[in-house]
Amino acid sequence: MRLRRAANGLSPIVTSALILLAVMCPLAGMGFAADPPAAAERYKDTNVILVSLQCLRPDHLGVYGYKRDTSPNMDRLAKSSVLFDNTIAQANLTPVAMMSVLTSQYPRVNGMIAFDTAKDAVTSRTLPEILKYYGYTTAAVSGSPEFFMRYDTESGTEIKLGDVFSRSFDYFGRTRKGLGSSLRVAPVESLDWIKRNKDKKFFMWIASGVIHVPYAAGVPREDRVVYDPPGYTPFWEKFHSIKAEEGASDDTTYDVLMRLYKDEYYLGFKPVYKLTPTDYSYIVSRYDAAIRYTDNFIGQLVDTLEKNGLTKNTILIIHSIHGEDLGERDTYVHYDLSESAVKSALLVRLPDGQQGGKRIADQVQGIDIMPTVLDYLGVPRDHSQQGSSLLPLIKGEPGATGTEYAYIDRIPWWEHTLSRWYLEFKNSQTNYPESEKKPVKEYGAMLRSAFPAGSYPPGDIAIRTKQWKMILRKEPRLLEKVSWYGYITGSALQYNDIELYDIVTDPHERRNVAAQNPKVVETLRAKLMEWDAAVDKKKASYGAGEKRYIIPYP
Amino acid sequence: MNEKQNEQDVKLINRREFIKYAAVGAGAVAATVAMPGFMMGNAEAAYLSKLPMKYKDYNVVFVSFDALQAAHVGALGYQRNVTPTIDAMAKKGFNFTNTISVASWTVPASMTWFTGVYPSEHRLTNKFSVFNPPNNNVLSNLKKLSPELVTLAEVLKQNGYATGGFTGNAGVSGGFGYSQGFDEYFFEKGKFGSMGVSIPKGLEWLRKNKDKKFFMFLHGYDMHGQNEPEGGFDYRFVEKGYDKKYTGTPKEQEALREEGLANGKTELRDADVQFWRAIYDEKIQRTDARFKKFLEEYEQMGLMDKTIFVLTSDHGTEFHEHRRFDHGFSLYDELIHVPLIIKLPKQKTGKVIKDQISSIDVMPTVLDLLDVKMPENAAKQLRGASLVSGLKGKPVAKDVFFETDYRQYTYKRGIQTKDGWKLIYTLEDKSRELYNLKKDPHETKNLVDQEPRKAYELEQRIFAHFKAIGHDLNAKQWIPGLNPVYDSQAKGAQKK
Repeated sequence: MRLRRAANGLSPIVTSALILLAVMCPLAGMGFAADPPAAAERYKDTNVILVSLQCLRPDHLGVYGYKRDTSPNMDRLAKSSVLFDNTIAQANLTPVAMMSVLTSQYPRVNGMIAFDTAKDAVTSRTLPEILKYYGYTTAAVSGSPEFFMRYDTESGTEIKLGDVFSRSFDYFGRTRKGLGSSLRVAPVESLDWIKRNKDKKFFMWIASGVIHVPYAAGVPREDRVVYDPPGYTPFWEKFHSIKAEEGASDDTTYDVLMRLYKDEYYLGFKPVYKLTPTDYSYIVSRYDAAIRYTDNFIGQLVDTLEKNGLTKNTILIIHSIHGEDLGERDTYVHYDLSESAVKSALLVRLPDGQQGGKRIADQVQGIDIMPTVLDYLGVPRDHSQQGSSLLPLIKGEPGATGTEYAYIDRIPWWEHTLSRWYLEFKNSQTNYPESEKKPVKEYGAMLRSAFPAGSYPPGDIAIRTKQWKMILRKEPRLLEKVSWYGYITGSALQYNDIELYDIVTDPHERRNVAAQNPKVVETLRAKLMEWDAAVDKKKASYGAGEKRYIIPYP
Repeated sequence: MNEKQNEQDVKLINRREFIKYAAVGAGAVAATVAMPGFMMGNAEAAYLSKLPMKYKDYNVVFVSFDALQAAHVGALGYQRNVTPTIDAMAKKGFNFTNTISVASWTVPASMTWFTGVYPSEHRLTNKFSVFNPPNNNVLSNLKKLSPELVTLAEVLKQNGYATGGFTGNAGVSGGFGYSQGFDEYFFEKGKFGSMGVSIPKGLEWLRKNKDKKFFMFLHGYDMHGQNEPEGGFDYRFVEKGYDKKYTGTPKEQEALREEGLANGKTELRDADVQFWRAIYDEKIQRTDARFKKFLEEYEQMGLMDKTIFVLTSDHGTEFHEHRRFDHGFSLYDELIHVPLIIKLPKQKTGKVIKDQISSIDVMPTVLDLLDVKMPENAAKQLRGASLVSGLKGKPVAKDVFFETDYRQYTYKRGIQTKDGWKLIYTLEDKSRELYNLKKDPHETKNLVDQEPRKAYELEQRIFAHFKAIGHDLNAKQWIPGLNPVYDSQAKGAQKK
């Protein structure tokens, strides 16, 4: 029976094949004359839950091979789910990568390409919007302030949200008001909503920022310190205090992690401290504690679904919005397009655990999530979607492959975000030495002149295959000029126009092998430029004249 | 007939209402139209069932009454008796009352009859393939734009037919490649010529070719806004009290068209609209009379029983129904709903076929009826379906697609389903219009917000259709401007 149902799910694909066939033999009078065959109408009774986790590296989950016991609940869930081993984000920054998932469009196409965004910047259809056409009640609970906060820098106040992340949601819940790390707490309110609405046909989007810096800062202390090296004192406490209004001085804040470069801690434009293995272990411990706490929430979610009889008619998808750098490639957080920053976890649990335990090695992207959901439900996909349904892969259909070429936009550069507000905001939170305060102002002024108000943010682009990753810097000289790491180290960085990495033998991308592989560069560059041109042809208007609000990053 | 009453009928009648109208037997003209089922006797049904559907080596006369709105044809329910000749042929032949053209202006719409592909595919979607004013404009031309396409005339010529086209030039000018495959193709340069000119030329050719098997395309702009009767109007249908704000000239018509394009709407009083419809009816009636004379001469040549007639129009015309004038910009029913009558040789009894079909089906139907040997490339290119099974009484209704790229103003694509839903998608601003034609035949209530799922699904159908025929509508930005077929060569493209 289950096999039969799975076979029925093929029909949207069969439909398009039939249409194509009809085009080939038009005299037969089929196809254009005939109605498309009815797809499996699972949208009539299937719920959808999308869990989006910030900064989650798959290689820090047990089910992906991590040694620390960070994810017992997700590991268990994977047994009744399909797990994707090579999922690539479309961007390295949260709002950009997430909107790309919710629209199944590359960032420039939907227009979410910066942290200073006009309220109505994105007009593309989103997943909740389409599901509402099919009678879904839509709800979101977000523990990621990126999705529920906009800051008006002129008035210095938070504005009422009403933009694209909340558009088309009947209910849009958030964790709490204000700025601070405690915004990034587990979105447990979603569990209550599910209990209250279990008899409705619903789509729920759950977002969590617990794994975002400062790692696990908003969670109970006993959970935060669970992996801490015994007796550890954070190295930065030797140099300055953290003025953060909330959280503790031993939190792994943005300020600290963004001043780490090549294992050195930079203050006053010089390295002041060399990171020890224990320091490193502490940072990773906090990161892992955040995953463990998030995993615990996933456990509660699965428990809620089981207790309310929802596992038989709910698709549950858990994915990383993007990954996180933990120093492998000189930096922390998610500054560039490293493997750590773009590789994502993706777990798809179909109703009743169909195809459970399957692992898929083919490369896929976050933009494939939405077409997969629509395909499963029997809802026609929107023509503007750029991803592909993963159902053929999930079902193991012959010839089904993933994405041979994954494409990534590094837009905006982090320096663009700094220029808008964040630089000053962050540098007022930490008690930095006097020697750094004036240069911060000058750096800010330079950034603002490099990125005039309303101008289209510059970006880098990348292409990835199962063996290669190529990053193309579109404006390397400008990047060198504005570089944050150039700024904190006091010495100009140098970027190559083209970086090619063999990600099989060199997963941390330490050796640029572009010069040694001219043919690979040629092929990948052609593909990448073709994609870039196609995306540019479809890119959303940036609306230079519109009033802009900042997406904060507390 | 009561003129006042008549005017009201003109406004009220449309094709769907006509079906109801005819069903209750009201309306003198409508009642004469044979209707299947209840008005067709057993004898007629028996006659039709025995009617042959293969006419190898028979002649074809394909007539385009340019810009004839379906709602102004008696055989399609119009109350004023302006098309007696066309109606008589409809009564004897197959009258497809729901024929939707693929486009709303001449150049793209007509080429679909002759190539069997959508305008996006034959690429005559713009008058220019290169636009570099003032002196370096290059006209679109089928052979240059789509060299691989085979035309209806070419197929017939290859099968031994004499081929002659006699037209009013303009949109069907030989310059666009309409002459491809014709032994002789008449178009008088610089003119929106009438059948007053093309018929005599056609008859002249017929006299020379009547003993061969032939394919004749006959076309005229007599009903079109850019033509006026030789000797002027007699205003036979104009209300006596009309204040003569307009006189019916092509110049006035053009000014109204441009006003609509520039301002998004025309300003017209009800009396003006009535006037323009009256002028239109005079033109139609005069054309019908010309066509009658043509048929009389044709009969005298003894060709009637050897000939398949196809009577149709490339597009309709609009009289302020959606606050615009002329045609080309929009894709409303008044613009894309056209007459289509197919009369077989010796056919005495006809049939009304209500199934919705497309003008793209005409070429496969003609080829099917003539039972010609199809070159492989021609057989492959055809997108439509033969309607011969429909002539035999089988259902042929289908969902249809249409499109217009109109000058520097708009790019629109549309679908009309056989169950009466219609979506018009405007590419430059992504705006959508959804109509439930069963409840709202005049397309006055946009249901996009009330029926978001229907609108969404039809939008997907439109995009899937165009993608399937090789035109991914998402592959480019649609920016209004004088957009020739070759974007890259649109030097100096700007608003006029």
